Order: sequence, then structure tokens, then C-alpha cells
Amino acid sequence: MRGLWATLRNAFAEVVAKPLALAAQMSVMMINDFVWVVFWVLFFDRVGTLGGWDRNSILLLQAVLTTAGGLSLGLFTNARRIGAMAVAGDLDAVLALPVAPLPFVLLRRIEPVNLGDLAFGIGLFAIACNPTPARALAFALVVLASTTLLTGFLVLTGALAFFLGRSESGELGFHSMLLLGAYPVDLFAGAIRILLFTVVPAAFVSAVPARLIEEFDAGRALALGGAATVFAIAATITFTLGLRRYTSGSVWTRA
Amino acid sequence: MTRRALVEALRGSAHRSLVDGGGMVVSIAFYVVIVGTLSGLWRVAVHANGGELAGYSAVAITWYIITSEAAIVSVNARHIEDIGADIAQGTVAVELLRPASVLGVRMATEVGRGLPKVAALWGAGAVVAAVVAGGPPRSATLLLAAPSLVLAIIANLLAQHAVAAIAFWIRDAGSVWFLYLKAVFITGGMIIPLELLPDGVQHAAMLMPFRAMAYAPARLAAGYWEPMLFVEQLVWIGILGVVASAAFSAGERRLQVVGG
Repeated sequence: MRGLWATLRNAFAEVVAKPLALAAQMSVMMINDFVWVVFWVLFFDRVGTLGGWDRNSILLLQAVLTTAGGLSLGLFTNARRIGAMAVAGDLDAVLALPVAPLPFVLLRRIEPVNLGDLAFGIGLFAIACNPTPARALAFALVVLASTTLLTGFLVLTGALAFFLGRSESGELGFHSMLLLGAYPVDLFAGAIRILLFTVVPAAFVSAVPARLIEEFDAGRALALGGAATVFAIAATITFTLGLRRYTSGSVWTRA
Repeated sequence: MTRRALVEALRGSAHRSLVDGGGMVVSIAFYVVIVGTLSGLWRVAVHANGGELAGYSAVAITWYIITSEAAIVSVNARHIEDIGADIAQGTVAVELLRPASVLGVRMATEVGRGLPKVAALWGAGAVVAAVVAGGPPRSATLLLAAPSLVLAIIANLLAQHAVAAIAFWIRDAGSVWFLYLKAVFITGGMIIPLELLPDGVQHAAMLMPFRAMAYAPARLAAGYWEPMLFVEQLVWIGILGVVASAAFSAGERRLQVVGG
């Protein structure tokens, strides 16, 4: 555990060593997030309420998504790179260390761009989402579950590269999750709705957590916790089994 | 020599794009997910507003989205970053040794790469639209939409080269692509038809080149017979071509003086 903590500290030190670059990259992502918020505000201003979603609830959804996305992609940056690392044989240096490989890989690198997501999400919640103490506590809890699920999903789809020999599944999973997570799930029916709760569980990353903040429901909370746990376990198992099929690329410096 | 080099660059990259079956399948899969979701959202909105939104029916807006997305997704979103990296790492300096225009060869290569992709994506999108909403609202306008898609790609690539040329001076165009893409999102009409924007934003979008990259072919595919969009694209291509060419010429002179 001490080794992992030191790894995270080093990763942070690398990022804050260039404060101007950090600020610039965070700003770019915050502008990106702002554009999406503008889109949704324009959309709901034009169409009113849809499927129980309105301007306020979509802002809450965006706050959850960007905060969880910022944590997952910012702090556990390698989660989305596991497929590429597996295919390129970039894990050699990790396997030689006296720490658990998956936590080390996840904590090794911090992406400053996505810290902008994190800052934006928290800022959006604080400014536009009525942050009472109860709602703030709920926000923190659901973001934690959402981050766990998103990270688990990214590791799981990335680790499939150990078996498939190609890393596209991880990239496709990453883009699909972030894209679909931005939409209010109740607007969809049929196959797409089932997809959003199962194969690409984007509904659990944003829509379900946002609803939980607005109105607590034990069933929904259990489903969210269960989905996060299942994906975290599945990701760990897939990565561990995948490592047995890993082929060295003789790359010792990049993990 | 230059003309032959451009034709060969276009032909070669188009061929490589065609034979990359895996890459094409992934692109199509991603595109289908995007247009399925985004057009689904807009159809729900149209139905909730009495079957029409700013003149767009559910069918029209579905064809709009499959076309605007095809125009943008078929071009590498991070091309600005890639060009910037090539400038910073000296690849462009090496390309200066060729007896052909650096910008010309790069444009021909990227257009060649984009053409098979846009054809495949638009075809897949047409199938999605036909299944989830219906056939094209006005088949005749598709005859304009098809060449308009090609012009959209050319306009987009020229603009990306013009923007990426700043790397000749600042050595890093890394994050600019992000901001560029976001401008295309809203003011280019990629995810929202321009008629649905507030008046002020709509007027601002009319003055920007981004609408030539997504809105123009999408509006045509949505069943609106507006040939002026086609003319507008040609004008923007002319302007962007001059800007990109001037930026690259100045940048290349700087490379020759300062070094790559």
C-alpha cells in the first residue's frame, strides 16, 4: 500500500511540476465541457421537459459525468490505455515491481487534461445544482460508485486486448461510454435502453447517479452499487487472467 | 510532377483506407452508435414538439444527423495535433525536400483517406436512418448532398491545416484540436441544426466557416433544396485554401531559416 501511495504522489509531482501547462490543459477540457453544457441548455430550452428530464436535471447529470470521468480518466489515466499497453508489450516494467500490477498501472500516470473535467464537474455542481449538505454528500457517494464502475469498465474492455490481440475494443468502449453517458437514459427505449444498462452501462455512470441525488431510491442505489462492484471484480479478473497471455515487448521504461 | 504527386498521394491513401478493414469496421461501429443515439434524442424531441422542430420532421432530422456526423467523423479529429507534431518533430522539414507542395500532398493524402470512409459511413448511416425513421425526405437533394460531403471534408481539412500551422511558431498545437472540434459541434451544426440555435449564435455561425463542414451537406440531406449552400462551401474552400497556403508558406520559410 505504501508503494502505491508513493506512486500516486510521484504521478502528482510530475503533473504539478509544470503548473502553467497544467492550467492550460485543464482549461481546454473545461471549455470542452462547457460546450456540452451549452448544447444541453439550448436543447432543453428549445424542447422543454423530455421523459422527466429538464435543464436542471441534465446539469446535474453533466456534473456527475464530468466529475466521475475526471476522477477515472484523470487519476487512473492508464485505465483507458490498458489495451494498447497489452498489445504493445508495455507492461514489462510493471511486472518486475513488488506491487500489485493493476493498482500500480492505474495510479502510475495522471492526465492533467482530465483534471479539468474534475474541476468543471465539481464547479458545475457547486454553481448550478443546488448543493445542500445532503445533496453534496449524495453527490460524493454516487460519484465514487460511478468512478469505480467507469474505471472497471475501461479496464475490462481494455484487458480484452490480451485475448483478442487488438486494442480497439478498449477505445471503442471508452468512447461509447463517455458518449452514451452524456444522454438522459429515460429518453431511450427498447434495445438502446437495454444496452445502456448492460453491455455499455453508461446509465449507471451518469443518469442513475443523477436521479439518486435528486431523489433517493434504495433499489436504484443497490443497483448502482452492485453494477460498480460487478465491473470492478470482472475487470480485476480479466486483467489478471489476461496477464498470463501477455507477451513481452521488451519495453522497460514506459509503464 | 506536383500534379502527379498529388494524384498518387490521393490514390495511395484512398487505397490504404479501403484495405484497412479492421479500422473501417471500428469506425462504422462507432459512427452507428453515435448517430443511433443522437438522432434518437432528436426524434424524441421532435415528437414531443408536435412532429416538427424548426421545420425539421423526425425523418429530416435523422438524415441531418447521419450526414453531419459522417462529414466530421470521416476526418481524423486530432489531425491538428498530428500536423503540429509533424512540424515540431521535423517531419515537415524532411517533406520540404520533395519536389511537391507540402500542403498539397498532405491535403491529397487526407482527402484520399477520408473519401472511402465518408462513403462507408454515410452508407451505414442511410441504413440506420431508413430503419429507425424512414427513407430520405427528398431523394433529389441527396444528389447535392453527396458532392457537398466531399466539399465539407476538403473545407474541414483546409481549416485544420490553417489552424495547425501555428505550430511553425509555437511548436505545439496539442490542445487546439479540442477547441476547433467544439466550434464545429455547435457553430458547424454537427450536433444541432443551426436553425435551433438562439438568434445571436445563429447569426454568428453564419459568418464562420464551420457550417461548410457539417451543416451544408446535412441540410441538403434533410431534404432542403438549397444549392446556395454548395456555392457557399466553394467560397469557404477558396478562402481557407488561401489562408492555409499562406500560413504553410510562411511557416516553411521560417523552417528554412530557423531550422526544423
